[in-house]
Amino acid sequence: MPVDDIKPTRAGLLIVRRRQALAERVHRLLSMKLDGMMLELVKLTEQAALNRRELEEKFAGAREMVAVAAMMEGATGVLLAALSVEAYPSYATGNRNTFGVRLPDLEPVMVRKTLDQRGYGILGTSSVIDDAADAYEELLEAIIATAELEGGVKHLLDDIEKTRRRVNALELKIIPELTEIRRFIEDQRDEMERQEWTRLRRIKKIKAKRVGDR
Amino acid sequence: MPPLGVTSPSCIYACTRFRVRRTTLLPREEYLRIMRMSIPGVIGYLSRQEEYREDILDLAHDFSGAQLIEEAVNRNLAQSFRHAMATAPGDLHTLTGEYLNRWDIANVMAILRGTVHDIPRRQIRDLLVPAGELDGTLLDRLLNFTNCGEAIEALQGWRLYPVLAEYYRICGETGVFARIENELYRQYYTDLLGLAATGCSGCQELIGYLRFEIDITNMRNLLRLHCAEEACDIATIDRTMIPGGRIPVDLFRRLYGIETEGEFVSAFLSTDIVPVLAQAVRELRQDPDFSSTDAAELVWQRWHRRRRPVHEVEMAVTRVRLHQLEALSRRHPFSVLPVLAYLERKKYEVANLRAIARGKAFGLLPERIWQYIVL
Repeated sequence: MPVDDIKPTRAGLLIVRRRQALAERVHRLLSMKLDGMMLELVKLTEQAALNRRELEEKFAGAREMVAVAAMMEGATGVLLAALSVEAYPSYATGNRNTFGVRLPDLEPVMVRKTLDQRGYGILGTSSVIDDAADAYEELLEAIIATAELEGGVKHLLDDIEKTRRRVNALELKIIPELTEIRRFIEDQRDEMERQEWTRLRRIKKIKAKRVGDR
Repeated sequence: MPPLGVTSPSCIYACTRFRVRRTTLLPREEYLRIMRMSIPGVIGYLSRQEEYREDILDLAHDFSGAQLIEEAVNRNLAQSFRHAMATAPGDLHTLTGEYLNRWDIANVMAILRGTVHDIPRRQIRDLLVPAGELDGTLLDRLLNFTNCGEAIEALQGWRLYPVLAEYYRICGETGVFARIENELYRQYYTDLLGLAATGCSGCQELIGYLRFEIDITNMRNLLRLHCAEEACDIATIDRTMIPGGRIPVDLFRRLYGIETEGEFVSAFLSTDIVPVLAQAVRELRQDPDFSSTDAAELVWQRWHRRRRPVHEVEMAVTRVRLHQLEALSRRHPFSVLPVLAYLERKKYEVANLRAIARGKAFGLLPERIWQYIVL
């Protein structure tokens, strides 16, 4: 029933009271969820910042390693080793639930490979190719881990925004409106009670006068 | 072949030409000059050199920067090696062809992989360095085949065709290319050692040089296998080790299982790698007190921590080996050694120019780049 349709009756008052109690309980729960999500966000953000720094270090390391590989084997040698790749790295997607928010859960697939899985022959390459491959595998793992964390942070931020809007709506609009309506109905009912009392008193006086006149 | 102890005039002529050609390679001072230049400066410098001018000008339309330098020096390397093969007479020609076969292996493997994985032909063509016996025309023809069976059939005249033929049916299966590549290199060394054993002038020294190269390669690959996350089996070691070196494959098998310092150091000290490694590190670190035991302990440290060889040390070992080859070629001036000394020097000249170009393109410090220069 919309708020405007509630009549200033006992039934209306009960509806408003029930709604107010529900709104206050939801507000309390959502506030707790918001606090929890904020704590989770702080944790995730710190971890994401740490991962991002590690990612940058690994990127610099991988670039340096590929530079050394290009120096020792030539870009031709590095590309030939790269062309030998038979299983391409990817990731499996999943979700994990945190405070009702579905955060992404990415699992690297065929990112870390053994010498056999890399596809190039050991005798036709040198150890610098292994080092470059290792560096890029580590970089890919770091990219996937960072994407998971940063994706989680974005999802969490979106949900925090939604929850905050709900909390604000409850706190600043719905609960004050219900309080106002409740007060209005109580005032109305008090007024009606006073009117009824006055009316009864008047009737009593009229009846008493009529009895006196007889 | 002329009677033992008599050197044919054509051999003397060819060896002299290679010795002269060796003197036209870039000296140390030129590298010092190039190190101070920017990449456009290096391109300008090479375009003023008679040796590289044509290659730079031909490729300048298609490539730029470090890529232009690498493509130009690779093309020059291919031309120089093909010219060397044309110059070498008789046995020298056969040995040179066999020695340059490693370039063919790289080219054939690139074409087979490109064909199976459906990589654009132009991309594969840019990666080929036709410095071996298989010329550019044959390689272009191989590039036009749509499956690797046809490509393998077209290689029937190649020295290493029997190895390819073994894998004809399973070509394209996962992991098979790595096995083919390893087998091709193993057969390459076996054939080269077999040819050198025919008793040509300087062949004994060549065999010694090759056997040491095999030892170094085996040890390096053993370190690579050891630092992999999961332990490999004996069959993998057997497939990876090249037979024919001074160090028997059994010793490598034994080394792989050793996990105590004393045992490892004593086993490693018995190999012929230690003196060369010690000399290389002495030169690299300017430390005259670095002994063979220190060298063995250095390798143990890498082994124990499951780390791969240090690249700078690998380069230092290459420098020592190259100096040894040159010393041998001076001792046997009319043999196969001056030819190989020239081929190796030329290979490292090209590698040096490429290393400078790539190092500068990645913004590495000159001191760092200098560690990868082989002089």
